Amino acid sequence: MTTTYPFDAESKDDELKSVGTPAVRIDGLEKISGAAEFVDDIDFGPGLLHAAIVESPHAFARILSIDTTAAEQAKGVVKVVTGKDFPYKFGMYMEDRYIFAQDHVRFAGEQVAGVIARSHREAVQAAALIEVDYEVLEPLLDPKEAFAEEADLIHPDLGDYTHVPWFFPKADTNIAHWRKIRKGDTEKAFAEADFVLEDTYRVPRYAHCAIEPHVTVSKLDHADRLTVWTASQSPHTQRHLFAEALAPLGFTHKDVRVITPYIGGGFGGKAGVSMEIMGAAMATLVKGRPVKVRWTREQEFYNTYQRQGVIAELKVGVMNDGTITAVQHRLYWDAGAYVEYGANVVNAAGLSATGPYRVPNITNDSLCMYTNLPPGGPYRGFGYSEFHFGLESHMDRIAEAIGMDAVEFRRKNAIVEGDELSYGAHMNPSGLIEAIDKTAAAIDWGVEETSDNPDTVIGKGMALFWKAPAMPPNASSASFLKFNEDGSINITVSGMELGQGYLTVMAQIASEVLTVPVDKIRVETPDTDRNPYEWQTVASHVTWSSGLAVQKAAIEAREKIFDVIHQVYGYEDDSLYLENETVRCKTDPEFVKPLREFVIDGIQTEEGTWRGGPIIASGKFMPEFTNANSDPETGQGGHPNVHYTVGATGVVLEIDKDTGRVWVRKAALAVDAGRAINPDLVKGQIVGGLVQGLATVLYEDMRFDEGGKMMNPNFTDYKIPTAFDIPDEIIPIIVEVPQPDGPFGARGVGEHTMIAAAPVIANAVYNALGTRIKSMPVTQEKIAMAFREQQT
Amino acid sequence: MIAKEFDYQRPATLEEATAILVAHPGETTRILAGGTDLVAWLRDDAVAPDLVVDIKDIPDLRDIRMEGDTLHLGSLTTFTDLIESDIVEEHAPLLIEMASTVASAGIRNRATMVGNICSAVPSCDAGPVLLALDTTVHLAGPGGARSVHIDDWFVGLRQTALTDDEVVTHVTIKLQEHGGAYVKLMRYAGEDLAQAAVGIVVYPDHDYRVAFGAVAPTPIRSARIEEALAGKPLDESLIAEVVGMVPDEISPITDMRATAEYRTHMCQVMLKRGLEAAVQRLAGIGPAYETRLI
Repeated sequence: MTTTYPFDAESKDDELKSVGTPAVRIDGLEKISGAAEFVDDIDFGPGLLHAAIVESPHAFARILSIDTTAAEQAKGVVKVVTGKDFPYKFGMYMEDRYIFAQDHVRFAGEQVAGVIARSHREAVQAAALIEVDYEVLEPLLDPKEAFAEEADLIHPDLGDYTHVPWFFPKADTNIAHWRKIRKGDTEKAFAEADFVLEDTYRVPRYAHCAIEPHVTVSKLDHADRLTVWTASQSPHTQRHLFAEALAPLGFTHKDVRVITPYIGGGFGGKAGVSMEIMGAAMATLVKGRPVKVRWTREQEFYNTYQRQGVIAELKVGVMNDGTITAVQHRLYWDAGAYVEYGANVVNAAGLSATGPYRVPNITNDSLCMYTNLPPGGPYRGFGYSEFHFGLESHMDRIAEAIGMDAVEFRRKNAIVEGDELSYGAHMNPSGLIEAIDKTAAAIDWGVEETSDNPDTVIGKGMALFWKAPAMPPNASSASFLKFNEDGSINITVSGMELGQGYLTVMAQIASEVLTVPVDKIRVETPDTDRNPYEWQTVASHVTWSSGLAVQKAAIEAREKIFDVIHQVYGYEDDSLYLENETVRCKTDPEFVKPLREFVIDGIQTEEGTWRGGPIIASGKFMPEFTNANSDPETGQGGHPNVHYTVGATGVVLEIDKDTGRVWVRKAALAVDAGRAINPDLVKGQIVGGLVQGLATVLYEDMRFDEGGKMMNPNFTDYKIPTAFDIPDEIIPIIVEVPQPDGPFGARGVGEHTMIAAAPVIANAVYNALGTRIKSMPVTQEKIAMAFREQQT
Repeated sequence: MIAKEFDYQRPATLEEATAILVAHPGETTRILAGGTDLVAWLRDDAVAPDLVVDIKDIPDLRDIRMEGDTLHLGSLTTFTDLIESDIVEEHAPLLIEMASTVASAGIRNRATMVGNICSAVPSCDAGPVLLALDTTVHLAGPGGARSVHIDDWFVGLRQTALTDDEVVTHVTIKLQEHGGAYVKLMRYAGEDLAQAAVGIVVYPDHDYRVAFGAVAPTPIRSARIEEALAGKPLDESLIAEVVGMVPDEISPITDMRATAEYRTHMCQVMLKRGLEAAVQRLAGIGPAYETRLI
């Protein structure tokens, strides 16, 4: 039997029955009724132990001694652990972390010790008894200061760290990775340009603020199996990192099992491994007893991944006709104390820091700087949300300076299929021009609007976005599919339902191939013992990658079905097709064989024997055209990204000139989904991503004190929007220029919808008031004070 | 989670409550009403009492009633009670304008207005409004009842005229025809602490009261601005005059929530818009109470 590669990208809408329809999400009833189970809902019985973590109050210090005597004797305490118990390194792309701090702490809040007790209260009370003696060191809190030659070293052993081959750390500096792009002759292009604009933009750190904080329950049973229940986007990656880090204790991959029920939001914050490793490690010391580690909201802010801050020095050259000739983008990333994941954010941004434009001459430097702030890491947008703020602000300013309409300027330079990318590969098919035009039309671009309120003015803004999944070149997905007696289907995959509707979309893809309705297909959340491999649910890649794996499994099942029919009835496979859960034959219109009659029990032949049996299938997908082997000095030669998703965002906002308060009256966002497998879910991503992006630009404002301690790890002072704060109107626009290698043409849209939210606000504020804010967030205070300054 | 342990008592009468307070004087005893401040502080280890005295069982502390021209509000009156009270809506809608800006619905259901002025944080929403209204705070202690005018209530950062062995029983507000406004600077439209606030009451014959919140160690009344306004109809030049006085009347700080400069600027904007609204409301033509003015 052969499995042909599916690529049904060109399927016409009228041929599709399930794909392209707004199927009701299969996890919906469970969730709205409160029945859905999350890690903290699982009852582990009275034997459950609870852990509390002792944290460093200092951002940078040497640990002189730890006295655990009093804690060990405290009521209810079962075990006290410190770094000495687990001298093992771990990390996603670079092994630069320990499970508990060893000789140094490198951010305020870093885990120094853990107490396992019979109750959470006893654990917390005992943790307060642990005395840690520190020699406090001067923290480095600014990435440019960390870059300075004389800067103290946060990781003196950087040169010895294990890392993926596409990272280029500089030993004896704080540069954990330096992604360079050198294309064309940037200097010459600037010299010949009619206009050059150079400026610096600043983006602070951000927190994901998922409604469910991180939580993990780990148990080493008496058969030496380590099971970890986690709120995670990455069950298989977690299993892999747990197994690797704990290998010195004798664990192999088969011994480690990660179970991930529903999670209450991820946004990148629950990708990779962060606090979960503590639970996994501590459980190894209390064999037979499950141990729970549950983060408070405060810990959720300062000891998981944070979105990295960036100082972006941007220089762009253009000709008078509006043609962009050169981009030089130097990004100093505040990557934090450990960059095992965050360095790949830096890498991704460096590869794509031109934005969605055709640029012949490029100099990009994306610098991953260690600082003594919490570890940076993935957050929806993965570097792109960060650098688009400056880039798309800059594009507006250039258009104005050369007297060109900002939309026309973008249209002229918008990247299209076949254009050369910064690293030498070529752009995939995309509907960027269509997205620009539809977004501009939705906000009546070019039509000036005035307010009836003398205190307010109206402004409009536009910004474009693009993003590619940032993955190892061989990141893979897999699926199992099995039929049941009644013709219903169970599918197992290991992507995570993060709220985006992944399970529903996988069911729709299988439904399309096998003509079984979505409500007869169940798709479950992962258990690494039972479900096949998935790299992670990040990068907006699972609709595409896991979708292809499911599509291939469904096609394999269909081929097995046809094979049985062929064996029994003799029809040629290529004359058979599925329709409404039956097998039909092009050459014999009378032939109808319902799936439920044979997908388990097979079909009886005329002699009375049976053919077939349970229809089971598997599918896997790994991109085979990618490679990350580029020249470290130029970035040329590889094909690190599978494809880009593009789009445009536009807003109409009203601003109170005195207070600076902003009301987003209308927002439009067009994204090229390739094909929207489920248009309602794509619209959900557009609304959700846009609102999350607007939060980062208008409200959220992470603050650290001079010692590097986060001052607002709470929703009292870290503001995320409420229902009162969302735009009056959001217009979701789905563009569909198929991705040739996507399932039915689909590509990911999850992260992209927040990327342009920040610059579009900055541009609209400028349009309204003539005030250009070059640092995020663009709060009402900043607007009011800048406008006031401008008036005097 | 509250890790520290403490004793808890729930007296059934005022006398019992004051007896407990007399027996356990000092900072190590804390009164619990709505608990929205106290429980958060306990959780954060910001306070460490040995004893918490819950006064919610004491009868008659949740009354809302008019006694002649005086509004009586029991100390267990929650912000939601204020918002839902027909009496308050009829006689002092300014209190509802204030109460509706406090935190979120869940907090308003528990938090008491008296607790708000007992915690006495600089940003307490009730402060500027009760200062602008003619408010008296009534207390019960071992020596019996006494009262303190609101002007003498706030004595320092998080400090009030309440002594360790006393409980607030109620506040009274002497009412006459008035227009009012509570204008609150928040960082977004969702629940927020006041970054700065202005409480204004205007009585007939151009008699003004002006108070500020979150721009000094306590909520403050501005006698100078009130004097400058006194007896004069509000017009653009008068507004400009008193707006110009604002920087000398307040002493805001710069913190992570707002800069001193923005707080000052916004107090000026809020004073202007608040005065205009209050004067119009007195005339029966202003924007409805609870309409956001900024």
